[in-house]
Amino acid sequence: MRPALLDLARQRTVLLDGGLGTELMALGMSLGECPEAWNVLRPDDVKSIHRAYFEAGADAVSTNSFGGSRIKLASHGLEARAAELNRAAARLAREAAPPGTWVAGSIGPTGKFLKPQGEFTEAEFESAFAAQSSALAEGGADVLIIETQYDLREALCALRGARLTSLPVFVTMTFNAVPRGYFTLMGDSVARALKELEKEGASAVGANCSLNSEQMVGLVAAMRGETGLPLIAQANAGQPAVGEDGRVVYSQSLADYVRFVPGLIRAGAGIVGGCCGTSPAFIKAMAELIPGSRRRA
Amino acid sequence: MNKDGLYADMKQAIVEGDGAKAGRLAGEAVRAGLALPEVVEKGYVPGIQKVGELWEAGEYFLPELIASAEAMKAAMAALEPGLRQSGVRAATCGKVVIGTIEGDIHDIGKNLVAAMLQAGGFEVHDLGADVKLERFIDKAEAVGADFICVSALLTTTMVNQKRLVALLRERNLRDKYTVLVGGAPASRKWAEEAGADGYAENAVAAVKLAKDLASRRA
Repeated sequence: MRPALLDLARQRTVLLDGGLGTELMALGMSLGECPEAWNVLRPDDVKSIHRAYFEAGADAVSTNSFGGSRIKLASHGLEARAAELNRAAARLAREAAPPGTWVAGSIGPTGKFLKPQGEFTEAEFESAFAAQSSALAEGGADVLIIETQYDLREALCALRGARLTSLPVFVTMTFNAVPRGYFTLMGDSVARALKELEKEGASAVGANCSLNSEQMVGLVAAMRGETGLPLIAQANAGQPAVGEDGRVVYSQSLADYVRFVPGLIRAGAGIVGGCCGTSPAFIKAMAELIPGSRRRA
Repeated sequence: MNKDGLYADMKQAIVEGDGAKAGRLAGEAVRAGLALPEVVEKGYVPGIQKVGELWEAGEYFLPELIASAEAMKAAMAALEPGLRQSGVRAATCGKVVIGTIEGDIHDIGKNLVAAMLQAGGFEVHDLGADVKLERFIDKAEAVGADFICVSALLTTTMVNQKRLVALLRERNLRDKYTVLVGGAPASRKWAEEAGADGYAENAVAAVKLAKDLASRRA
């Protein structure tokens, strides 16, 4: 049996991939389209993005299934195809994966709120996430990564659903810096979030999105004090802005982004990657900084 | 009846996000024959202001904001018949048409801004998500809006905020409305670039900005 991604994390810094949505846009995905639909409509394009990340030196890529829960897919009228789209997502990444690499089944938020803020029950969330997780496992995911969570209750529903598979489950929350420290949109503190996720059986925990790589260093240090689990850090390339030509550019350049990666690792991140605004070029530059990475091996 | 005590309780009900209490106290004020515009101004508005301060201090988060906005709605619903009957309208800060831009289905932030604007005394017309540019303008024309508030979560849909401003110009309506943009990728710089009148980082800041701009419009 191949070694687990977590074993690698014990030996050296593990490198994940970067942004996927922006890469799909670059290949022509249009406004309002359902990204997960591309797993069956444009499978070769999705696979080419995974390949580019593996070539850049990523140890694992995230599948094109961030919005693949049936609750999220319902906003595109595709809820009945959740199993098919998630299976395809995992299969495409699997087909692109060279030996010695891993496939992380991506699970993002539903975009809806639990009661009392919203209409959904925890059981409904958990069941939707369980279905998505099992389809990702069937398609060949090695681990599941629950990402960009702004509500700890939703993250725990996803974690419980994902744990029904036998795969290890990683969870990243998205925290903002407020005057009292780092909190999610729903007001979950770093300490509380990591403690609950660990208790519920997460194999690795961390943060993604919202913050740039410089701000993420402080957050990683705060997280390090709260858990003994491997820590994940996937920062944004700063804030987006629209340039003169109408194209979206992010405020952090590749060089500026990568400059803080050694700091992230020193602060305690054992699994690093990118988020919005990062591309295979960012991951390649990060791979060059990581001793023993697939690029430096 | 001790008016000051009642107003303090009303404020507290909003700060605690206790809709049942906020509504019950509003009913008491109606039965006691109090001047309802004053009840709004001295009882409930200070509550929602306090909520804004707690948010800015990092004490309150989205669940508290939603609960407080709902409590405000419950109070206003209880006061509304009395306000209408007496022919006295609670002072409205202005009319707002709000929605998430064409191509974008994300509405969490937009809903919160709509709720807080309403709690803050604006008449809010919420068009929902994935709203066509023309619909923003048609609705604003139909209700005689002062503000058009446009949300976008995605960098890819954000460009439509700029197109909305262009469309207003095309139809010679640009100066008629104050256009505010918001959403994760938006910024003050983007608002300038898009030709909008303002940007706010969150729902609390949006209410402040809208009130500030409304007083300048008046």
